[in-house]
Amino acid sequence: MDNALEKEIKSRFVGIEVFTPQKDRMTIKIRKENLLGIIKFLKDKEFNYLTAVTCVDWIDENEFELIYHLSSFHDPAHIMIKKRIPRENPSFTSIIPIFKNSQTYEREIHELFGIYFEGNPRLTPLFLENWKDKPPFRKDFDTREYVKETYDSIPTLEEYK
Amino acid sequence: MSQRELELFFGPQHIGMVGNFSITLNVKGDRIVEAKANPGYLHRGFEKLMEYKNWTQNFPMVCRINVIEPDSMEMVYAMAVESLAGIEVPERAHYIRMIVLELARLASHLFGAWAYSNMLGFDTVAQWAMAYRDYMLDLFEELVGGRVYHIYICPGGVRRDLPDGFEEKVMKFLQALGGHVPDFDAAFFNNRIFYERAKDIGKIDAEEAVELGATGQVLRAVGIKYDIRKIEPYAAYNNIDFEVPVREDGDAYSRLWVIRDEMLQSASIIMQCIEKMPKGKVYTRTPNPFKWIIPEGETYVRVESSRGELGLYMVSNGGNRPYRVHFRTPSFTNGILILEKLLENASIADVGNIMISLYVVAPEIDR
Repeated sequence: MDNALEKEIKSRFVGIEVFTPQKDRMTIKIRKENLLGIIKFLKDKEFNYLTAVTCVDWIDENEFELIYHLSSFHDPAHIMIKKRIPRENPSFTSIIPIFKNSQTYEREIHELFGIYFEGNPRLTPLFLENWKDKPPFRKDFDTREYVKETYDSIPTLEEYK
Repeated sequence: MSQRELELFFGPQHIGMVGNFSITLNVKGDRIVEAKANPGYLHRGFEKLMEYKNWTQNFPMVCRINVIEPDSMEMVYAMAVESLAGIEVPERAHYIRMIVLELARLASHLFGAWAYSNMLGFDTVAQWAMAYRDYMLDLFEELVGGRVYHIYICPGGVRRDLPDGFEEKVMKFLQALGGHVPDFDAAFFNNRIFYERAKDIGKIDAEEAVELGATGQVLRAVGIKYDIRKIEPYAAYNNIDFEVPVREDGDAYSRLWVIRDEMLQSASIIMQCIEKMPKGKVYTRTPNPFKWIIPEGETYVRVESSRGELGLYMVSNGGNRPYRVHFRTPSFTNGILILEKLLENASIADVGNIMISLYVVAPEIDR
């Protein structure tokens, strides 16, 4: 990865911030309307492997952060594309038109964080079954509390007698 | 005779299924029309659990994510913590880590060879592979006290130095295994039955493999030479001379040959590590686990596990435990979209064949 790429990204897209915190790592903060454009641009620049899509729940700022990890088969660089979205009725654009394999990652985030992805035809449950509670990976879902409520109410053998 | 379309549940309790995994198949006759993978049979939620535990408590937990090859999980967690906290790893620890990682890769590939040859009915070869894996578990037991979970590669280095005479035992084992390679080849890899059963089964071309996010053997079996150990060397892999085996055809046969060649490369890496290993410290002391605060930051680290690219994205908000961890596991990409794609139009008899050749390990998929 070279500085030319950084310059080109900055000149092509408005309203984005580019950081290079360390060698071979780049973080790009984008606006929603830039998402497909910038991912397509990087894909054509040989960053044609979508490694993962991550979601982070920043509950204090009342925001979710979506992170798209892109890497290349020839370059040790790793690019993270970040976008924060509001926590109420969260929804975002699917990147399936560019990376087909984002389907499973978006399914995962939809299930575990409750974010809706427009354009993803398969937001069906992936891991959970008949889940009625709030999405379990959100910070306001307490796993220990849930386990206590769900399983601690089972009487012990002595109590049962 | 007209054939109805039926829904068939394959696994998790099924003789042809390995691991906690199931596939819903829509079949017409014995042809599969559509396949849907259902990975949710473990319900551990380790990513969430790790947010509740401090930096040290997480270390014995990460290895549980991949049961068959736990060491690369430990490695990726250790690398993430080291990157966030700025911990230097002693040179000797890098070499010990490589030895352990390659031993684990070898053990995992032997396990894979067992599963595949057993599925095809090569019982003898399967037993050989399993027996050699068992010798390796003995080596691990001597090294760390545990056979399956090692909890050895910790942030800052490794837990303790190699026991006396360990290098010789590893060399002796590798020589024994190396001496057996011609037998493995004659009985299995060059066997006509293996060729007939695996050739053109689960075939995928390079373009589609990249599009669906293939990794590891699936990617290398379509001719793409992609290995994190080469592209972004961690530990001391840049001091080691090794090849990345590739094949062109993208079918189960190619994937198994890639696995076989990787085993030979792993053995060669271990021998080079033992030869080049410097003397010295094996760990950098980390702070008291209960008072260990890691500064705010985020990191993405990756290693080449036995199944492909394994990544870890970790965020610290300046506390005594991670704010968020997200694992990018190789089976997550290979085990859902690619499996579903390859099962289309396959016959029911080949489901196990395709699944095992993709080298999927179900616990990795679950979150």
